[in-house]
Amino acid sequence: MEKLVIQATRRSVTGKKVGALRREGKLPGVLYGYQTESTPILMELRDASRVLAHASSSQLITINLDGKEFATLVREKQRDFIKGTLLHVDFQVVSLTEKIRTNVGIELSGTSPAVKDYNGVIVQELDEIEVEALPQELPDKFVVDISGLAKIGDAIFVRDLTVPSSVEILNDPNEVIVIVTGAAPEISEEEETAEEISEPEVIERGKKEEVDIED
Amino acid sequence: MLMPKRVKWRKQQRGRMKGKALRGAELIYGEFGLQALEPGWVTARQIEAARRALVRSMRRRGKVWIRIFPDKPYTQKPPETRMGKGKGNVEYWVAVVRPGRIMFELGGLPADVAVQALRQASYKFAIKTKVVARHESATGEAA
Repeated sequence: MEKLVIQATRRSVTGKKVGALRREGKLPGVLYGYQTESTPILMELRDASRVLAHASSSQLITINLDGKEFATLVREKQRDFIKGTLLHVDFQVVSLTEKIRTNVGIELSGTSPAVKDYNGVIVQELDEIEVEALPQELPDKFVVDISGLAKIGDAIFVRDLTVPSSVEILNDPNEVIVIVTGAAPEISEEEETAEEISEPEVIERGKKEEVDIED
Repeated sequence: MLMPKRVKWRKQQRGRMKGKALRGAELIYGEFGLQALEPGWVTARQIEAARRALVRSMRRRGKVWIRIFPDKPYTQKPPETRMGKGKGNVEYWVAVVRPGRIMFELGGLPADVAVQALRQASYKFAIKTKVVARHESATGEAA
């Protein structure tokens, strides 16, 4: 696996003044965790975005803070919800000799025959799985092959995942990861219009209406 | 069409649409969504038209979540009426949408079908929208 490195410097500017740094193309973040004081840091937005775009939530990222390297996991990414650009990133420093608990993403692969043959709908119940492992042994993601889901009602459970012996899954083994369900029955347009309510019920009455009732 | 079952008051003041969406700006249920990029009043009729366009292009696959609800009454005075004599009658219902709001979500569909369906739905609105995805996908967006 390729080592992902982000160059960073210590940041003294905090609070609302960070906006000025963002306008200069910098990305503020914070570094905390194993034997590390919470430290505000500053990165180049372009470089950091490029590295983080390819990194999964369970992938180790090395932060080079003024020449000192820290092995970290991304704990939180804050984004501008319209532009999609990063606003702030939390990095948790981890010990490479101690097991940690974290979530690993699930990716579906293949095509289920139930979708083609029976018009089934693939419903993914779990997006992430909680695991315990040494940081360097964490898988980037779990790839779940759904080409074996042949009928409606077929499901893949947590117990069906094949994981390396060094990784322990903490989720309930009987939890469903993905299931094929039947498509909802089609409602004709006539039926839909029949259900419509013409006017909502008014709970409070205006002054004028109250007077009318008293009269 | 969507409208409230019960309301406290029949008519409302218009209010303002300053700023961005405070809530409902992230995908929660589905893998793909339609996000508003402009503020505006989205009518119940537009929501219904978009829903029909979605369901039609999904061809009975997948699932749709509607994340907005038209709970604001829109009043109009009848044509050729003199001003005054009180506020007009409630004509239809609108949802107040601010930039960033996820209006629809889709799940259980291949990326190409979902993006195409949401694009069809986007033509039903008078505001600018964009298709967003939870994972990196055909839209090139990362949620």
